[in-house]
Amino acid sequence: MSVHITTLDDRVRLRQDDSSPLSTQEYFVNMGPQHPSTHGVLRLVLKLDGETVREVIPVLGYIHRGIEKMGEHQSYRQFVHLSDRLDYLSALINNWAVSMTIEKAANIELNDRIQVIRTLMAELQRIQSHQLWWGVFGMDLGAFTPFLYGFRDREIIADIFEETVGARLTMNYIQPGGLMYDIHPGFVKRVKAFLQYFKPKLAEYETLLSGNVILQERLRGVGRMDGQTALSIGATGPVLRASGVPLDLRKSEAYGSYGKVAFDVVIGKNGDCWDRYWVRLEEMRQSMKIVEQLIDNIPEGKHMVMKPAVKIKLPEGCYYNQVETARGILGVYIVSDGKESPYRIHLRTPNFNNLWAITETAANWRLGDLVAILSSLDVVVPDIDR
Amino acid sequence: MMQATDKQENPTRSGLVTAPELKRHGFFRNVFSGIKSLLEGMKVTFHYLSHPSTVVTQQYPENRATLKMMERYRALLTMIHDENGLHKCTGCQICHDNCPNASINVVTRSNPVSGKKELDRYIWRMDSCTFCNLCVQVCPFGVLKMDGSFEGAVYDRRLFVFTLNHYAGPAAGLLAKVADPEERKKMIEPRDRYSGPVPLNGQELAGVKALKKAESGCCGGSGGCCSDSQGSQGSKEMK
Ligand code: SF4
Ligand code: SF4
Repeated sequence: MSVHITTLDDRVRLRQDDSSPLSTQEYFVNMGPQHPSTHGVLRLVLKLDGETVREVIPVLGYIHRGIEKMGEHQSYRQFVHLSDRLDYLSALINNWAVSMTIEKAANIELNDRIQVIRTLMAELQRIQSHQLWWGVFGMDLGAFTPFLYGFRDREIIADIFEETVGARLTMNYIQPGGLMYDIHPGFVKRVKAFLQYFKPKLAEYETLLSGNVILQERLRGVGRMDGQTALSIGATGPVLRASGVPLDLRKSEAYGSYGKVAFDVVIGKNGDCWDRYWVRLEEMRQSMKIVEQLIDNIPEGKHMVMKPAVKIKLPEGCYYNQVETARGILGVYIVSDGKESPYRIHLRTPNFNNLWAITETAANWRLGDLVAILSSLDVVVPDIDR
Repeated sequence: MMQATDKQENPTRSGLVTAPELKRHGFFRNVFSGIKSLLEGMKVTFHYLSHPSTVVTQQYPENRATLKMMERYRALLTMIHDENGLHKCTGCQICHDNCPNASINVVTRSNPVSGKKELDRYIWRMDSCTFCNLCVQVCPFGVLKMDGSFEGAVYDRRLFVFTLNHYAGPAAGLLAKVADPEERKKMIEPRDRYSGPVPLNGQELAGVKALKKAESGCCGGSGGCCSDSQGSQGSKEMK
């Protein structure tokens, strides 16, 4: 395999073919870094022919904060709070990924209560993340109402988190050795109320958006990607599953309490925008199923198996662990030299790879479809740059 | 524990749900089902339009009196002072060492009477704090807590750096052992929110006048964030 490296400068040099007076002219347009439908500071350089997208070149780095480098100067316990700032809509799952890597490396045994609460939190977070995506997706396609509905329902989960975690976005709740707090006494009641509330709302989502003929026409067949391509660019999560590859770490690795609950892996058939849309909607249903099975069966036990101020040192070596966030596989790679802070931390973030699907899927679609495709990939930009 | 039946039946079941195929029909059927789908969507929105009870928008700041954050909500780091205005901080600096952002500076002094090391100033930089809650967790004496006062906006960034303790002196437990009230008085020295040796802690900057010491009443007792008085004070000082 040979790697061909080009710079942005090379790629935006136009080779104009002026031989015929009828030949059209291709041109470049920047979409972003400040653009409402790139959901953050993502810059896409588009090669356009009229309104048809010929090529998409993602340009990154506008929200690079050097989280991996910062990790080298923080203790393991401190690093967890930086993972909130990767994919902030999966903050709790990111916390879990980092904590689990540290726990496996340091051989910290957890009790069932911690595992069940972690699983519950992760699933609530997944629902919340998909709710937000659903609203934003609707907005990107020109329907503002779903945005409001998505945020309205998201608020209820945010309240659940606020009560137990004390934060609404940057959680830092799941820590090496357990959880920052035990669940609030009102947690179970609130979650049950949410389940009861959200089920009819999900049906409403279907009527409002999924059944809408305009939405269907804008999604059907648009931005197709087959499973082979998806795998080759390293796409994970709903993007990969929509292309028909049933890879879900919750099923295949069964970490946490996922081995004890029944749920289905949701896959698509064609890998188009519609499948990506539908996979996420159905995943909300599956997540609710998981929450339902666990919420009445939270075992007794301590919420933390370590003292909060105890310094964690990992034995020398390399450790890798991955979990399924709302957007795909988050891998945490730690190189330890036996000191209190890691020698090197690398994060394999789902959005970085998922973004590259845009180069495969958006070519030869119209500019308006590009927005739909980008939105269906559900990228969170701070996770790409980290 | 999970129910045994769940455990045996389900883990191996690798169920797959596949997305439904969207079908195209004849022209007329498409037109009618399309219109129907749009009307159904509109029915949902009209339902909300005609039912004011479903409105969830909160009228902030009109609802300030009733707006309560949850008890664990992390918005403002506070040092717990008991009814006598005493805190339990020993100045051990564990929180200082554990803060990932160096947002805490625990300045210690030796007591003018007993000569023991104790807390002088507990300086918190709200501007660089990420509200990770580690400081609250690691304090061995439970001195700190996160308060839900979220209205922290100010007009002058220097107001984000402030002192949390109300006095410099020994912790409540040690002070209780001193019987003589005169001696007790000598051991402690009041501290207010904005004054001190740290740059930005209300100090003079090039072209900006030093902040006035906070009037008593502003956070004197509760330690809560009184953004109004701070804000107006800050903006006046800027001019
Ligand atoms: S909450 Fe975290 S960042 Fe803020 S002062 Fe405490 S330890 Fe530091
Ligand atoms: S707040 Fe707690 S940890 Fe920090 S210096 Fe005081 S006693 Fe020590």
